[in-house]
Amino acid sequence: MSVIQAGAEKPWTVRAAGSVLEPVADIALLLEGTYPYVRGGVSSWVHQIINGLPEFTFAVIFIGGNKEMYGPAQYQFPPNVTHVETHYLLHRSHGKPHARKGSRQPFQEMEELHAIMRQSGKLADRKMIDAFARLGSKGGISQEDFLYSEASWDYITRQYKERCTEPSFVDYFWSIRAMHAPLFVLADIATGLPPVRAVHAISTGYAGLLGAMIRLRRNIPFVLTEHGIYTKERKIDLAQATWIHDHNDDVCNTLHEEMGYIRGLWIRFYEQLGRMAYAQASPIISLYEGNRLRQIADGAVPEKTRIITNGLNVERYRDALEKRPEKIPPVLGLVGRVVPIKDIKTFIRTLRMLVKERPDAQGWVVGPEDEDPLYVNECKELAESLGLGNHLRFMGFQNMLEILPQLGLMVLTSISEALPLVILEAFASGVPCLATDVGSCRELIEGAAEQDRALGAAGSVVHIADPEGTAKAALELLNNPEKWSAAQQAGLARVKRYYNDQLMFSSYREVYSEALSVPRHPAVAN
Amino acid sequence: MAGIGFEIRKILERDNYWSVLRAYGYAGLVSGGPWVLSILSIMMIGVLAVMLGVEQREVNAFQICVTYMMASSLIWTGGMQLMFTRFVADRTYAGDKAEVLPNLFGVLMLTMAGGFAWAAPFIFSLFTGPFFQQLLLLCNFVVLSGMWIVLIFLSGMKAYGRIIWTLAKGYSLGIAVGLLASPWELNGLLLGVLTGHGYLLFSFLHHIVREYPGNSLLKFDFLDRSRSFYSLFAVGTLYYLAVWIDKFIFWFVPYTSEVVIGPLRASIIYDLPIFLAYLFILPGMAVFLVSIEADFAEQHERFYRAVREGDTLMHIEYRRDRMVYAARQGIYEIFKVQGLTVVLCLLWGRGLLQTIGISPLYIHLFYIDVVAVSVQVLLMAILNILFYLDARREVLIVTACFFITNLLFTVATLQLGAESFGYGFAVSVTLSAFLGLFILSHKFNRLEYETFMLQG
Repeated sequence: MSVIQAGAEKPWTVRAAGSVLEPVADIALLLEGTYPYVRGGVSSWVHQIINGLPEFTFAVIFIGGNKEMYGPAQYQFPPNVTHVETHYLLHRSHGKPHARKGSRQPFQEMEELHAIMRQSGKLADRKMIDAFARLGSKGGISQEDFLYSEASWDYITRQYKERCTEPSFVDYFWSIRAMHAPLFVLADIATGLPPVRAVHAISTGYAGLLGAMIRLRRNIPFVLTEHGIYTKERKIDLAQATWIHDHNDDVCNTLHEEMGYIRGLWIRFYEQLGRMAYAQASPIISLYEGNRLRQIADGAVPEKTRIITNGLNVERYRDALEKRPEKIPPVLGLVGRVVPIKDIKTFIRTLRMLVKERPDAQGWVVGPEDEDPLYVNECKELAESLGLGNHLRFMGFQNMLEILPQLGLMVLTSISEALPLVILEAFASGVPCLATDVGSCRELIEGAAEQDRALGAAGSVVHIADPEGTAKAALELLNNPEKWSAAQQAGLARVKRYYNDQLMFSSYREVYSEALSVPRHPAVAN
Repeated sequence: MAGIGFEIRKILERDNYWSVLRAYGYAGLVSGGPWVLSILSIMMIGVLAVMLGVEQREVNAFQICVTYMMASSLIWTGGMQLMFTRFVADRTYAGDKAEVLPNLFGVLMLTMAGGFAWAAPFIFSLFTGPFFQQLLLLCNFVVLSGMWIVLIFLSGMKAYGRIIWTLAKGYSLGIAVGLLASPWELNGLLLGVLTGHGYLLFSFLHHIVREYPGNSLLKFDFLDRSRSFYSLFAVGTLYYLAVWIDKFIFWFVPYTSEVVIGPLRASIIYDLPIFLAYLFILPGMAVFLVSIEADFAEQHERFYRAVREGDTLMHIEYRRDRMVYAARQGIYEIFKVQGLTVVLCLLWGRGLLQTIGISPLYIHLFYIDVVAVSVQVLLMAILNILFYLDARREVLIVTACFFITNLLFTVATLQLGAESFGYGFAVSVTLSAFLGLFILSHKFNRLEYETFMLQG
């Protein structure tokens, strides 16, 4: 075991040497686009889990899109990270492609597979094993065959003619390629991964598919945790994606509501990835009841699902709590990346409404601004056109322990959330919260079970995109010290009782112990 | 500047026989013009000079000298012509038009100074004539090399009208100066063509400099491997080698040739029929220009637009079919028109040779040569279509085949005897045309596959 320095240019990789089949780690964490390269809720959770469970060793398997999209590692690995791999799904092919015939047989088999997926969406393990075995193997479809062969071309054009209802062939063609090319990389990762005792994917999508592949190939347990719901988030992305051209006829406005074929294709693709992961994973963990139901709706077997909420180290926030001023600061804080899904614009409009009643009010947007510069610009222009001046501050990334005592309210205007850690942080440092009714926000603020609800409301739940209502709710708390204090106490009590990190650690300790003690059994169930 | 297709279509739209005739006449002049005009004017200088009392021996020497200079300068610059045209097209497409002019000067520098460097020792050591004559030969070669470059460059700009008009002026000037200087015999005639070609070089250049902006004087970016295609250099060189190799063989095999001047030899039996035959490619060249540069080019553009702008696969396939149809139609038209020309030559050839005072002994060679050059027009059309499809490797294969078979078959006909002369060239060009057709058909069948699946 050794400490891997964060920020090192090349994360080093330990591959099992020769015939030595000693596992390099207990758990391989399959991480798509997050830890350790991107800061955020999921990444800090991963870091928390690794630190909180020092008795297990971890392999960190990072899967990214393009190498250029990621900077240096943002976290310093704890000593129980014993293996690191970094992979990119979208690497450009080198050199000029050469014409090749390609074998038609595997494409025919793939056609059958696609037909089954379209009909029932369920694939038997045997079929899934065969499908994965064909990826990039001899007698199957190599990546070159898929990308360059005549057999592949015939298959793609036949599918297009049979199914695609949209005019643009170019869009269809590149979508199909972009969709499937990463699968070959995943197959390579699954083959090359040195022995581990279990895998744990922190999302469905490509990471979840990789988990399913490894599970089927190596017959080791596969644990799946979903923070958000990958498929749903992709749907939101895809609905806004401008790189997909909709060819809706302007004359025929009724079509406008419908999603284009290619958008639909992408969504079905991610749904299918999710279904494959759900079929192989056990347990399937979500953060709160709403998401558990969603997983079941998306194809997860109810018996395999379970909820483990996030937790945090309440002690860490004791200082922040003690540093709070006597008076309630009239400051609304939004902690999050400046991206459309957080709906920063509604926050800005809320502040405008609030300032009318409380001229001393301030709004702070605390979070990185590098992800979507266009949106950041729009937000700043909006603030300017509303004449907010010094009332609104974009503060970038900040130390939470210093920011939290200065806030009067934590505000989340997001249109989608899972279980936002910032609400727990706010509670632990004595800040009530306003949040939209997304993810588990209502459970966090009002309580989930009966006993929990009895603790009282730790703030207010507001509607999505409702600046007026949000401003009104904020005013009610800021202008009413008794109500505010009651909310503060409810939040403190709730986070201590239900969202303590020790609870989370013990749950995962249990999950891992169970996974690692599972005796090996034949992988193919049917 | 409007493309030639546009201009021709404008004439055709008037829709009467006279306008059709004019359109094809214009196209013929534009496409075959440079080649035919130069042959005609060299011949005319010869005929007029004899009438003015210059000795036939001197006139023969003059014609052979010019022929050699044309052949050697075409082979010397052929590769660069193709490679540079593509370089210019790419730069223009990429929007850095200012790169063009300095690089044109670079190419001219390389071909003219380079040509001077190797031709000077060659001419001065092998020719025994007076220094002035050696100098004239050298200058003619260097000026011609430069002229081919600017001529192909202007063709790339589709400035056909200007090319023809300037060529007519240049050759008239050449003839006039040649005749005025005819008292100096060979030297005077050489001075005439040098003046003509010099005038062409500088007036073409004048036109280009006015059209193209430039930010520096001299650049050699076209030699950069990442920006140029050396395979095109090979194609250009091979093509001209292929066209001339049979002539060179006949010139330098002792029993088919004789010494004319210095190291230059001529094959009386072989040369005259083939140069006459080349005058009969005009109808095919006219059709070639109209059908390939206008009809096919338009369909080609529409196909790639359909691909780029996101059409349905069915429409892309429809566009492919239209493009294949245009190509097939073009080749078929050339075949028809050149076929008719061949038939007419077979019918009236004997009378024609008699009228211009050439021995009927040449008649069989003339017949086969007319067939061969007619097929060569077809081959050019096929190569041109392959260029449009950017099939550089395929074009290289066909031109290599043309060169190798012409070499082998011509040598074979020398073994077989006088009755088979000319068949080497004819069989070679036919075989290459068939190979080209075969490759083209294959290429068309896989066009969408290659367009989509084989992008780097």
